[in-house]
Amino acid sequence: MASPRDEVIGNPSKAFPPVNSRAATSGLSIDSLVGQHYAFIWRVLRGLGLSRADAEDATQQVFMIATRKLEEIAPDRARSFVYGVALRVAHNARRGLRRRREVLDDEASDSAESEARGPEKMAELVQARQLLAQVLDRLPEKHRRVIVLAEIEQLEVQEIAALEAIPVGTAASRLRVAREKFRTLLTAMRAQNPFGDDP
Amino acid sequence: MKPDPIDQLGARLFEAARSETIPDGAERRALAALRRANEQLPSGAHFSAHRKWLVGGVGVAFAIAAGLALLLRPKDNSLAISAEPSRSAHTEPERREVPRTERPIDAAPAVPSLMVAPKPTPSAGPPALQSSAVTLSDELSALKVASSALSAGDTDAALSALDRYDRVLKGKKMRAEATLLRIEALSRAGQAEAASALAQRFVKQNPGNPLVDRARSFVHE
Repeated sequence: MASPRDEVIGNPSKAFPPVNSRAATSGLSIDSLVGQHYAFIWRVLRGLGLSRADAEDATQQVFMIATRKLEEIAPDRARSFVYGVALRVAHNARRGLRRRREVLDDEASDSAESEARGPEKMAELVQARQLLAQVLDRLPEKHRRVIVLAEIEQLEVQEIAALEAIPVGTAASRLRVAREKFRTLLTAMRAQNPFGDDP
Repeated sequence: MKPDPIDQLGARLFEAARSETIPDGAERRALAALRRANEQLPSGAHFSAHRKWLVGGVGVAFAIAAGLALLLRPKDNSLAISAEPSRSAHTEPERREVPRTERPIDAAPAVPSLMVAPKPTPSAGPPALQSSAVTLSDELSALKVASSALSAGDTDAALSALDRYDRVLKGKKMRAEATLLRIEALSRAGQAEAASALAQRFVKQNPGNPLVDRARSFVHE
């Protein structure tokens, strides 16, 4: 039986059905779509394991696909739509790239951020992101997604349920299990704590 | 009560992730690429509607031409369309040879590629059309067939449609899209190496094409 995720990955339009095109096109342009959702999609793709460069490419691909379906997207469901596309794109990208592990090396490539924070703080942040990526890599995909949405995007359970196309109760229990697993994994990897204190 | 150190560490890791900045200019680059793509193709917002009209129009033209062909089907040798089995009829039974001096019906231009074939060639494969006879709607229709087959999981049919696009239509206007479809079809058909090789060639030969990023996702390193 196809899971909700499979439905989303296989066909975003199916999980988030298109609406009347006249209504859908009102107020939704390429600029507004990108302006409102670019950062969200980029961070989600990072959370799903893509490197900075790959996340940028994949985000562009997400909006390339979404742009072609612009007339089918209701403005109030635009985030759900691009999220669904992003899951599929991330799935394909990771398969194609065979999980290139340059993720960890290219973290410091953003010189602007490095300059703003200073080298020591930046090194600490890079290590923290590396550790987080390693923990997330060990989570089952569905748990990884809800952790990313809840803890990085700081979305409410209702919003997570809507994005994942699952009931709110399912989202809540999935998030609870995901947090437990995350905590167990982090406990096992606490020796890599980049902040110098020993938890 | 002292907060749990593991929970504290987790919170700091998530904070580090939230603080990560998007690569400088990434959003601007994406918008520029989207606008370029919109200029090159039937625009995003109008693409679907445009394609529906084209597909619908081609379908109506097919129906009219098929109806006329049935009405004008020859009953003896005096009619414009020869009932004599041509040499090509053995290999392509649906195609009828048309005497060069006569033009049977005017419906033909609407469907130049199928109803009135150019001079048959001795080769086994379908003949290529004159490039001037191939319209954007011809190319879109061929790609629509490939895309639909791919969506249905029929990679063989998708590749056949793309072969037709290459050999018969010698498509040019939608060449990049056709190549991307072929890459995806090969990948889904389990021919990952072939897909990767084609994707690599595409990336190398079309560095400025907005579809390069998508092609790159099929490249195995």
